[in-house]
Amino acid sequence: MPIDEGAFLRLLTWLSPAFPTGGFAYSHGLEWAVESGDARSTAGLIGWLVDILEQGSGRTDAILLRHAHRAASDAQALAEVVELAAALPSGRERWLETTAQGRAFLAAARAWPSPVLTLLEGQDVAYPVAVGAVSAAHGVSEDRATLGFLHAFCANLVSAAVRIIPLGQQAGLRVMAALEPILLGSCQLTAHSTLDDIGSGAIRADLAAMHHETQYTRLFRT
Amino acid sequence: MDSAHLLGGQHAATQHRPQRAFGRLRVGFERRGSVTALAVLRQEGCLKARHPRPEPGATAETVLLNTSGGITGGDDLAIAIAAGAGTRLVVTTQAAERLYRATAGSPPATLRTNLKAGPDASLDWLPQETILFDACRLDRSLTVDLAGSARFVGLESLLFGRQASGEALRRAFLADRIVIRHGGRLILHDATRIDGDAEALLARAGTFGDARAMATIVGVSPDVEAMVAPLRATLGPGTLPESGVEAGVSAWNGLVLARILATDGARLRHAVTAALGILRGADPLPRVWRL
Repeated sequence: MPIDEGAFLRLLTWLSPAFPTGGFAYSHGLEWAVESGDARSTAGLIGWLVDILEQGSGRTDAILLRHAHRAASDAQALAEVVELAAALPSGRERWLETTAQGRAFLAAARAWPSPVLTLLEGQDVAYPVAVGAVSAAHGVSEDRATLGFLHAFCANLVSAAVRIIPLGQQAGLRVMAALEPILLGSCQLTAHSTLDDIGSGAIRADLAAMHHETQYTRLFRT
Repeated sequence: MDSAHLLGGQHAATQHRPQRAFGRLRVGFERRGSVTALAVLRQEGCLKARHPRPEPGATAETVLLNTSGGITGGDDLAIAIAAGAGTRLVVTTQAAERLYRATAGSPPATLRTNLKAGPDASLDWLPQETILFDACRLDRSLTVDLAGSARFVGLESLLFGRQASGEALRRAFLADRIVIRHGGRLILHDATRIDGDAEALLARAGTFGDARAMATIVGVSPDVEAMVAPLRATLGPGTLPESGVEAGVSAWNGLVLARILATDGARLRHAVTAALGILRGADPLPRVWRL
């Protein structure tokens, strides 16, 4: 088997819903956006996710993942990405969501030993940084890791929406189909972004994650 | 420069390079006995600082002025303000800052503000609003370095377009950051970005929900967790577009952050004033705010 196919196989395992990062527990504020009505219809949900992927945390995470990937063998550069990524979340639950999944991802990734796991030990590591650094250590290409991460992130939110709204499975899959060009676009458009290009325009999606802290009925941690 | 620049804007762009403004400002305060005293003042180019004599017992105040009358593409501005150990300082601006249209192909204006607060210092960064004119371009960062025992309140308010004259914000580039280190640790890198078709971007449900104003307020002090409930109660549970204001409040990493969207500048200022009342207690707002 060619070596890059082996790396791709690992990426599939790491980003599968069966990989124990606990992603199913996080809605990224979507649970509130459904209750408020912003993301209750299929069209509303697609629009909400487009905003996150093009203007908000989806784009930010893609840039972070790419830079963590490039820094994976440079302890100091990686430490800078780790520090920045842990300071970027726009509220308590966003911080919890990314650092808890980052920690769980790194713990589970110990089944594939690499020096980068030691570099990241004992820190609050954001989820995209963990995926980017581990992917690089195992020869997964930056573009594949970025697209795979964006897909897993988006699929997890659609799955959350299917449970919260609720939507039929077919309707959820139609949302995933509609978002394919957005995922490809967010992946391509971040290829040359610097860390200084990071910034959110998805302010109401960020506010939703803050509002979720006081949501009365909650199925999700965020 | 205001109206002349605006009138000349597009027409003159190809004929000569517009004048770029340059400004450097350094201000330092130190504690002398029980008084917070001005120790350093260096002004260069279009940036000035005024220091109104404080009323007895009142907090020292620095009022910033941009004598160029507003910011346009390519302007280069940097401000450094240090509040030494045990000082109490409020920094504000003389007026709202106007971000004028940048000529085609012009680089963004850069504005770098660097604040430092020493041990047991209390520093409030309370500038008035920044107004984004159509086709403006700005790359701005507020970098705050706090000693572990320092206390900080910071505010950035943005108005999207000149509502009074009915000008919409159609295109814009804004990269705006609030970066805070507390006791040497990076606790916040808040970054806002608007790039391109601002009219479409502001209108979306997940972006700005058609808001025309936004404020970000950050507090760093030992009691930030206790601020969350009163801030939420004061700012209310409203959401856009039904209410004219939507605000989120959260505390983590030793800071509290309130982000407010509003349909107009008056609603924004009302909400900001109320939130600052919670974070700053009985400390009055700077006098220039009330003029």
